[in-house]
Amino acid sequence: MGRVAPSRMHRRHYVHAYLFIAPVIVLFGLFRVWPSLQTLYYSFFKVELLKGRLTFLGLQNFAGLVHDEIFRAATLHTLIYAAAIVPIAAALGMILAVLFNEEFPLKELFKAIYFAPMVTSTVAAAVVWWWLYNPQYGLFNVILKLMHLPGQPWLLSSRMALPSVIIFSIWKTLGYNLVIYLAGLQAIPHEYHEAATLDGAGSLQRFLRITLPLLAPTTTFVFIYNSIFAFQVFDQVYVLTGGGPARATNVVVLELYNQAFQRYQFGYASAEAMVLFLFILGVTMLQYVYSRRFEVAY
Amino acid sequence: MTLRRITTYLVVGLGAGVMILPFYWMIITAVSPAPDIIAFPPKWIPSHVTLEHFQEASARAPWLVYYKNSLVVATASVGLSMLFGLFAGYAFAVYKFPLQNFSFLLILGTLMVPVQVTSVALYVFLAKFNWVDTYLGILAPNFASAFGVFLIRQAIKSIPMDLIDAARIDGAGEVRIVTVVVAPLIKATLAAVAMLLFLSSWNDFLWPVIVINSQGLRTLPVGIALFKDPYGNINYGPLMAGTVITVGPMLLAYAFSQRFMIRGIATTGFR
Repeated sequence: MGRVAPSRMHRRHYVHAYLFIAPVIVLFGLFRVWPSLQTLYYSFFKVELLKGRLTFLGLQNFAGLVHDEIFRAATLHTLIYAAAIVPIAAALGMILAVLFNEEFPLKELFKAIYFAPMVTSTVAAAVVWWWLYNPQYGLFNVILKLMHLPGQPWLLSSRMALPSVIIFSIWKTLGYNLVIYLAGLQAIPHEYHEAATLDGAGSLQRFLRITLPLLAPTTTFVFIYNSIFAFQVFDQVYVLTGGGPARATNVVVLELYNQAFQRYQFGYASAEAMVLFLFILGVTMLQYVYSRRFEVAY
Repeated sequence: MTLRRITTYLVVGLGAGVMILPFYWMIITAVSPAPDIIAFPPKWIPSHVTLEHFQEASARAPWLVYYKNSLVVATASVGLSMLFGLFAGYAFAVYKFPLQNFSFLLILGTLMVPVQVTSVALYVFLAKFNWVDTYLGILAPNFASAFGVFLIRQAIKSIPMDLIDAARIDGAGEVRIVTVVVAPLIKATLAAVAMLLFLSSWNDFLWPVIVINSQGLRTLPVGIALFKDPYGNINYGPLMAGTVITVGPMLLAYAFSQRFMIRGIATTGFR
């Protein structure tokens, strides 16, 4: 009796277990896993959706990508974008978090202001910035004019368009880094700082010798997570520049969006999506090597 | 010490001014009479408040339809993700069963392949059963949330097993245990997950703009993006009125629950 009961109980629970996970498994299987496998599959084919025809190309799509100037430029822009926004937004977020780690009046209100862009639709915020960046009447050039400085072409110049998108994205994500770093700071015991102060360490020294090293896991998380998001940048580019001028802000996701949904090159776009996936995979691997502190792999 | 405090205050305050400036200018542009908008020096406070830009924005786009679509999609996606996530999270936290680790990793693995990667194949797949340009099409990748399953599983793991065993001895079935015993115990997590999922659905753009063709199905982000005519629309008053309409409710909700929303994102890392 004592041996039968648990096993019967377990079998009953198998049924429950599978019933409970079934919706998620089926839905993810259909709309997440299957399209992932199809992306890999399509990347070896010419896909003609309307004719319902697949033509095997082998590695031709990938060979095409290597020689495709537009795709190579889009990849470069994406990497420049990530290489700029990730460290700048991390450094600003960390400095702000250190300032926010002290008590001062209206602190919660200030924190809420820094965080507000994070809960705002990227598309809508970018529309506002598109107006701010207007060379003639936009607020940025108006302020420059007030200070008797020359106006800038911002989004209209192929040299300044990508930096302008980057500035927008820093504004958009700074609050996120701030609260993540603030959580990291609050995990550092006060005793460390007190002991260092007693030993005569100045505030800069305490920051460099205590805060910075103890925030390393947070920094790893911020860098990896923000990189993965940066590789997928799309919304703000779509609104601010549409990839222009002269493709100066074309990025990988916008490029694959155009290949698939403007030019109906679904196979070629899938190959581009695979390249994007490899970037994400690479950074995720880095995270795995660097630290196993975070259970979720992105 | 006080000097340092003043410096801190100055830096934080100045930064906050820069952060809030776009919001401020959005609202000012939306309610200023047309000549004010392009005035130099800039009119930081409108000479009088006008609603004409809102009237023009309303005449040019069906904002209420966009609201309805965003609300339908977000509600369905959050509701289903929470329902499925609660039961799946319970199964992964409480049961031991064959292929448990495999299926859990399969779910978490989907986080590594975002819609940005799968959108092309997903579109081709959905086109086969005519889900393109339907609510179901917009919802397809968001019926369930891997992040939700993960967070709910973590929360349930922290509940003492004795509690669940006691409920079983009292004769409660498993479905009843999940809904009546477990769910109230993890309501803080459930609320945070629901908020995060709602936020990401509400602001989602790439997949909706791919899968929606007809104006009647546009969600708010798609609506505002297409409201902005990229070819020489310099009618900034109505455009800013449109962005106020788009972001207003979410910013208002944020103003009333910012602590809850910030904590939800800070503790989970989700964005």
